[in-house]
Amino acid sequence: MVGRRTILGGFLAAAATPYAGLRAEENFFAGKTITYIVATKPGGGYDTMGRLVAKYLETHIPDCRIVVKNIPGAGHMVGCQAIYSAKPDGLTIGTFNTSLIYNQLTGALDSDLDLRKMSWVGKAAIESRVIMVSAKSDIIRAEDLVSKERVFKVAATAKGSASHVDAMLLARTFGYNFRSIFGFEGTEAELSLLRGETDVVVGSRSSLESFVASGEGRFLIEFGGAPGSDLRQGDTLAKSPQDRAVLDLIEAQARYARLTAGPPDIPPERLQTLRNAYMAALRDPDLLAEAKSLHLPIAPASGEAVLERIKLALTPSSEIRAIIEDILK
Amino acid sequence: MPINTSIESLLAVLTSPHMLLLLLIGVCIGLVFGILPGLGGKLGLIFLIPFTIGMDPLAGALFLLAMHSVVHTSGAIPSILFGIPGTGPDAATIVDGYPMARNGEAGRALGATLLASGIGGLVGAVFLSLFLPFGSALVLAIGSGEYFLLAVLGITFIASLSGRDIVRGLIVGLFGLMLSFVRLDPLTAEPRYTYGQAFLWDGIDPVTAVIGIFAIPELIAMASQREDRNTHGTPFARYHFREIWEGCLDVLRYRWLTLRTSIIGAVIGLIPGLGGDVATWFCYGHAAQTSKTPERFGHGAVEGVIAPEAANNSKEGGALVPTLYFGIPGSGGMAILLGALVTLGIQPGPQLAVQGSGLVWVLVWTLAIANILAVVLLLLCAPWFSLLAGLRVGLLVPLIIVLSLLGAVISAGAWQNLLLLALLGVIGYLFKRYDWPRPPFIVGIVLGPIAEISHHKAMAIWGPAFLLRPLAICLLILIAAAIISNIFRFWRKGVAP
Repeated sequence: MVGRRTILGGFLAAAATPYAGLRAEENFFAGKTITYIVATKPGGGYDTMGRLVAKYLETHIPDCRIVVKNIPGAGHMVGCQAIYSAKPDGLTIGTFNTSLIYNQLTGALDSDLDLRKMSWVGKAAIESRVIMVSAKSDIIRAEDLVSKERVFKVAATAKGSASHVDAMLLARTFGYNFRSIFGFEGTEAELSLLRGETDVVVGSRSSLESFVASGEGRFLIEFGGAPGSDLRQGDTLAKSPQDRAVLDLIEAQARYARLTAGPPDIPPERLQTLRNAYMAALRDPDLLAEAKSLHLPIAPASGEAVLERIKLALTPSSEIRAIIEDILK
Repeated sequence: MPINTSIESLLAVLTSPHMLLLLLIGVCIGLVFGILPGLGGKLGLIFLIPFTIGMDPLAGALFLLAMHSVVHTSGAIPSILFGIPGTGPDAATIVDGYPMARNGEAGRALGATLLASGIGGLVGAVFLSLFLPFGSALVLAIGSGEYFLLAVLGITFIASLSGRDIVRGLIVGLFGLMLSFVRLDPLTAEPRYTYGQAFLWDGIDPVTAVIGIFAIPELIAMASQREDRNTHGTPFARYHFREIWEGCLDVLRYRWLTLRTSIIGAVIGLIPGLGGDVATWFCYGHAAQTSKTPERFGHGAVEGVIAPEAANNSKEGGALVPTLYFGIPGSGGMAILLGALVTLGIQPGPQLAVQGSGLVWVLVWTLAIANILAVVLLLLCAPWFSLLAGLRVGLLVPLIIVLSLLGAVISAGAWQNLLLLALLGVIGYLFKRYDWPRPPFIVGIVLGPIAEISHHKAMAIWGPAFLLRPLAICLLILIAAAIISNIFRFWRKGVAP
């Protein structure tokens, strides 16, 4: 007959199993090296944030080393591919652009790559999207983009890029007469505004902030801005559920920026260890102080929340999907 | 800017032991990062930025710029001695620098490269100081259409780089242009001729191309000299300071070429998006184009070393103009430097030219002093590099192979690049063996993508009317002059007895 002590012991052991599992997985990382892939060249926002996250993640996983590896190329696709195809042992994770969601929606990603299957560790920031014009432009408010009856040239990277898709989604929704000019990488877009080659840039606020601060650009409206933002928010433009759905798609990507993920099928306990360490790192006062000195806004969320958002973004309504497919035709 | 601000800034640097020490350390680190293939200025900046956190903004900016501005001065050394470029912009120096070393003129090539780099750096500093108030107008005047025509002008240099046989040169150049289309389509981001290989999505890496086309064939040639395996086998003979001095005098002999290519380099540096590879290959092409004996190029012409090296260092001064004036970096290195400056509390923008003139002058003087310091240090060390001439082939070939492979893997960040390196090595070997000119291939690879994307942008923005813009007309005249002079040159050769 089984004694009460034995049963109680069994219960305690069962209750402690997940914890024990986590401890074991924490031990798994002891003495090992995690490779943190950044899908851009050294320098720039992704690299700076990636190195910051890696540095503090290391301090929150005992006795583990993290090395940063830059794998740039093809608008983050090469780095994302490298993370996706890595061995799912938890020793390879990394960061890439959220806008790859558009690439998957439109089939521009490798057919084997499914962002929904990735092991999401967390996200570090809100990267609100903005419409920006030159400070010398006669466009003062977002409404002027409708009332001025002319074509506005948008500086965009390529067909599947967020700079193009976001601009065209907004054009379809709010009646802006936008025409994308492709081939503007990074700061070339700002330069094209100054030269008068293009009229509008749609991009992340943080990357355009210094251009506006230098007095050369003007933000018209912001999408997915932090509460209390000093800019007018895109919500004020939405008049129908369809408008709202489009804004949701754009804002979802804004609110889930600077992601960290690993390949599919990292063992759950190991992934949980990474997620816990990630959240602890992003709340570390030293990281927050360093991020402030680097002008990097921090707004973390867990891997579970990121996964939910990614799944939602990748299953848009048939109307939104049709619009995106039409934009990218 | 008032002269007294300039002098005050110079004195602030020269009278501060702290600043001088930082400058010296920055220069030394820059030289080390330059000489090791695959590292370069960007990684150097990333390495140094953590040390600048909490530093005084002036001191931090001086430290980083001192390091970054001299990377290419030492980058020419492996190019000349071993035929391996330190970074992309050092690659053009190989074309004539390495044959000079093979012809027993390594000291002369090093002397020429060091002084040309130093003068280029000084011209870049002068350019920065003169053009900071006016540079914005030039940056804004050069749009997508002008980018396209600049690339076409560079492509016309293929004729001058073709040596004795223009048909072969054109074929090789067009082959390079054709391979430059292997990448993601810049408009649709769809893979183009990449056959499922993600490492080709960003195109063929120019450093890999140069190593494959120039270094690998030389390695094959060296390794095949079996009888010399245990004796002297370096591609260069020992040299003395006298030969280095001779190279320095070459720079003075070709002073107008040095000055012209320094200015061209600074102007190309000023245009965001063109980059160091374009500056050096464009100036190399210009040197061949304006030479009375272009057939010497590729076989050890000292002008082929002077031109890219002067441009390599002068472009840094030009690149600082849009970085400081608009907060728009012209290159990856400048993007990192810009981020570091912002972290140090320096806000780039037009107001910097007015309110921050003291800082700008410190940067100008940093460029100038760092370049002089780098030349002096390397001139002192140059005779020591001669000791490497004592290495045996059996030791040297593996060393060069490792450096080549490292250069190819680090610059492109993918091991698969080694397969591409092997393929290009075979092509380069065939070019060498059958005496086909190799530089046009690299010109095609470097300028092809810029020509393609800027042509698309110009047509989408302006339509064919972009050809009627004032600067575009000037460039069209230059292109026509280049083509006519080439036709005339080959016609004259044809009729000459």
